[in-house]
Amino acid sequence: MSNTSEVRIQINGEVFERHVEPRKLLSDFIREDAALTGTHVGCEHGACGACTVLLDGEPVRSCLMFAAQADGMVLETVESLASTPANLHPIQEAFWEKHGLQCGFCTPGMLLTTKALLEKNPDPSEDEIRQAIAGNICRCTGYVFIVDAIKDAAARCSSEGDR
Amino acid sequence: MTQSLAPRLLGAKVKRVEDPRFLLGKARYIDDMVRPGMLHAAFLRSPIPHGNVRSVDVGPALAMERVRAALTGRDIATKVKPIVCDSTFEGFKSSNYHAIALDKVRYVGEALAIVAADTRYIAEDAIEMIEFDIDELGPVASIAAATREGAPLLHEHWGDNFFIEDLLEAGDVESAFRDAHGVFEINVSNQRHSGIPLETRGVIAEFDSDGVLTMWSATQIPHMVRTGMADCLEVPEHKIRVIAPDVGGGFGPKGHLFPEELAVCQLAIETGRPIKWIEDRREHMLSTFHAREHYHRVKVAYTEEGVVTALDATIEVDCGAYSIYPWTAAMDVEMGLVMLPGPYKIRNFRCEAQSVATNKCPFGAYRGVARTAVCFSIERIMDQVANKVGLDPVEVRRRNLIRSDEFPYMSITGMEYDSGSLIESLDKVCDEADYKAMRQFQEEARSEGRMVGIGVSVFTEQTAPPADKGLPLNFSWDAATVRMDPSGKVVVQVGTHSHGQGHETTLAQIVADELELPLADVRIAFGDTESTPNGIGTFASRSAVVAGSASYLAAVSVKENLTERAAHLLEASVEDVEVKAGRISVKGAPEQSVSIAEVARISYHHPELLDPSMEPLLEAVATYNAGPGTYANSAQIALIEVDAETGKFKILRYLVVEDCGQMINPTIVDGQVHGGIAQGLGGALFEELIYDDEGQLLTTTFLDYLMPGATDIPNIEVSHLVTPSAFVPNGIKGMGEGGAVAPGAVLACAIEDAIKPIGEVFVDRTPLTPERVVRFIEAASSGGGVE
Ligand code: FES
Ligand code: FES
Repeated sequence: MSNTSEVRIQINGEVFERHVEPRKLLSDFIREDAALTGTHVGCEHGACGACTVLLDGEPVRSCLMFAAQADGMVLETVESLASTPANLHPIQEAFWEKHGLQCGFCTPGMLLTTKALLEKNPDPSEDEIRQAIAGNICRCTGYVFIVDAIKDAAARCSSEGDR
Repeated sequence: MTQSLAPRLLGAKVKRVEDPRFLLGKARYIDDMVRPGMLHAAFLRSPIPHGNVRSVDVGPALAMERVRAALTGRDIATKVKPIVCDSTFEGFKSSNYHAIALDKVRYVGEALAIVAADTRYIAEDAIEMIEFDIDELGPVASIAAATREGAPLLHEHWGDNFFIEDLLEAGDVESAFRDAHGVFEINVSNQRHSGIPLETRGVIAEFDSDGVLTMWSATQIPHMVRTGMADCLEVPEHKIRVIAPDVGGGFGPKGHLFPEELAVCQLAIETGRPIKWIEDRREHMLSTFHAREHYHRVKVAYTEEGVVTALDATIEVDCGAYSIYPWTAAMDVEMGLVMLPGPYKIRNFRCEAQSVATNKCPFGAYRGVARTAVCFSIERIMDQVANKVGLDPVEVRRRNLIRSDEFPYMSITGMEYDSGSLIESLDKVCDEADYKAMRQFQEEARSEGRMVGIGVSVFTEQTAPPADKGLPLNFSWDAATVRMDPSGKVVVQVGTHSHGQGHETTLAQIVADELELPLADVRIAFGDTESTPNGIGTFASRSAVVAGSASYLAAVSVKENLTERAAHLLEASVEDVEVKAGRISVKGAPEQSVSIAEVARISYHHPELLDPSMEPLLEAVATYNAGPGTYANSAQIALIEVDAETGKFKILRYLVVEDCGQMINPTIVDGQVHGGIAQGLGGALFEELIYDDEGQLLTTTFLDYLMPGATDIPNIEVSHLVTPSAFVPNGIKGMGEGGAVAPGAVLACAIEDAIKPIGEVFVDRTPLTPERVVRFIEAASSGGGVE
């Protein structure tokens, strides 16, 4: 294949080495090359947050990066939070408990944005929560129960931390 | 010994059983699926709004490496019939909507060719290589442009640009106007916008060597799409299978048959390869059907007491280029026509309605079809009447609303409202808001020079409607199969589809209750025409009513069969046994009992132990027909504060009372209300699909089409009244759309109210963007009147 370069990206602890075209989006790399389809694409122009992943712990929009730019980096996708219903992450538990999702399409991006928020600010106010997810569009929920879920997640995470 | 009763699940806030797969990122949406040998498709879309297609040459695209196939309108002209969907009303003019444009393009974004390649990237490269020649015709980008003398015609043989012109007249409008205390006219509009699910459309089509065409599509209506495909393609319906897997939001826009579905299928048929097409956001804005663009002119007659006695109205809807399947280009005007009086007792009514064809994306369904617009109009009217006779907006509504003791109520337009609690929900929302305190707060704020306003709206929500008004089909029913397996557990297969509404939980609650089984023993399946009974689909706030009741009726019949078999095994008569908590026992002698699981195992594996008249199969299929539909109702109130400088306003409180009868799962109901209101607020505040005069869409990304985010939507306070449906089993009513209906009306009322100390102004349209609010403020200070 012409004009490809080799990239090496660690996703959820596993290393993916592939030859990709320079124009290949990171979101496509995650979904196609790593077959991790929990990362969704809602706009491909950086405006909806569905494709959010954590890059070295920071939330980024994977549709705004080329895979080649992530060469050598460490990524976390939604699949890193838990592998089965039996071991859900407290943030996932909170979204479940508080009905923080309907169609589920925005959910992976919301969960990872929440994770990054709570790592920086373990006890966010409602305003801080709304600010933090302002770039993640949810078309289904009207955000009310997402905000509740994030409050609940904060409580769960801090009580886990206390243990 | 007393049997412990299974906890009643109906009405319980059960956590959704479907959530783990979404939380884990393991749901399966269309784009998550890969088929062996699959190719990726892209569409060439017309950049020209109106023109005759001279030629489309896909040769240069096909010459590229790893491009495998391409089709133009000419290539498929003899094989794929156009989508035709006519209203049954006399005078409706038919349009031919080709899967790929043939002789003419009629909107920017209409498909001109489809290409399949090894990757989506290559398919998009190939699209760039296609050469085409279109003779441009004058663009018709608005109702004014479509109806002016000598306007270019979209469909030449029509002779004009009207899909349909209709008139409804009832009562004695003339006398009512003659006897009125006062008369006025309003001129209002709502802008074009749409449901915009976060997941775009997507299709995978595969044609196997048995001649079976399988299409995976992000659709709300798999069965109706299958019928539409059989109407258009050369594949008979029994050889078509439609699968709608997890779908990332529907809201109406995904409830249509789309030309792209036909084109992708035809390409799969011709290549023998699975073809995947995933719409990008720009394509979605250009070509997934739009909605909401209504223009209403209403003359109103009212009494001294503020009672509206007559309406004389004109409704115009900009329907875009083609009539869409299965709703037609008449849907919005016909629905608007009959729902305009809404919850009010107006007995003299005249309404002219027109669906106009323009060079814009076709116009289809979006949560609260036509009702957002009619609610806006009728509520604007109530607010005007309140002003004119000097009443509070809540009081004027109370004087006009249908009272609870007047149900069932036949509206002047012939709609049968079965039940409701209109005045009670208005009163309750005022109580919850502490309306008096709100007004007091407003007074105080005003005395400090702040602009604070209160807006209110109350409305009826037609749910599970029959749509017998001019639509080519009556969809008042749906179907469910309840299948008990030999271990006594149950799969329920329904014709509806869940794409966020939580049916895997709510339908299971209904069936588990009826069969006295735990929730975990009931699984809900949907979205595959091969494994579900023929049904209609999910839209129009219908699934809880029609799928819920069909599931319930099928469960009742399985329970009867179980009871019969158990009675036989227990050597008792059917009347003497009862089903409770997973067991069937002789009444008064609970030690004589048998578990449901035991009866099921015997039934399938030892039918010889049963009476020969009893069949082994423990399955039942049932349909439920909701007839004229059942009516939910809602009242909403908002408190806002406007920044006079910028025109921005903050929603300080937003309260809702929802009455959807018996709730299956109150948490899910609240989630639906929140989501609907957020969409309604998006449309009221800023969402707009803007075409310029040349017919170019200017809003093709989320940077220019604004979607409401978490900082735009307030906390929404929901409370409930419960007026059970007068006829639906379990008293259930639908409620999915209601939230979206009123926010425009509520905010218009609130803004007028906020501006009042400066002067009178009439808020005549949405969206209520800051620039527009500033203009309203300016107009108020200069004595009213806004252009
Ligand atoms: S898909 Fe990346 S931000 Fe929307
Ligand atoms: S749950 Fe559907 S977009 Fe958020």
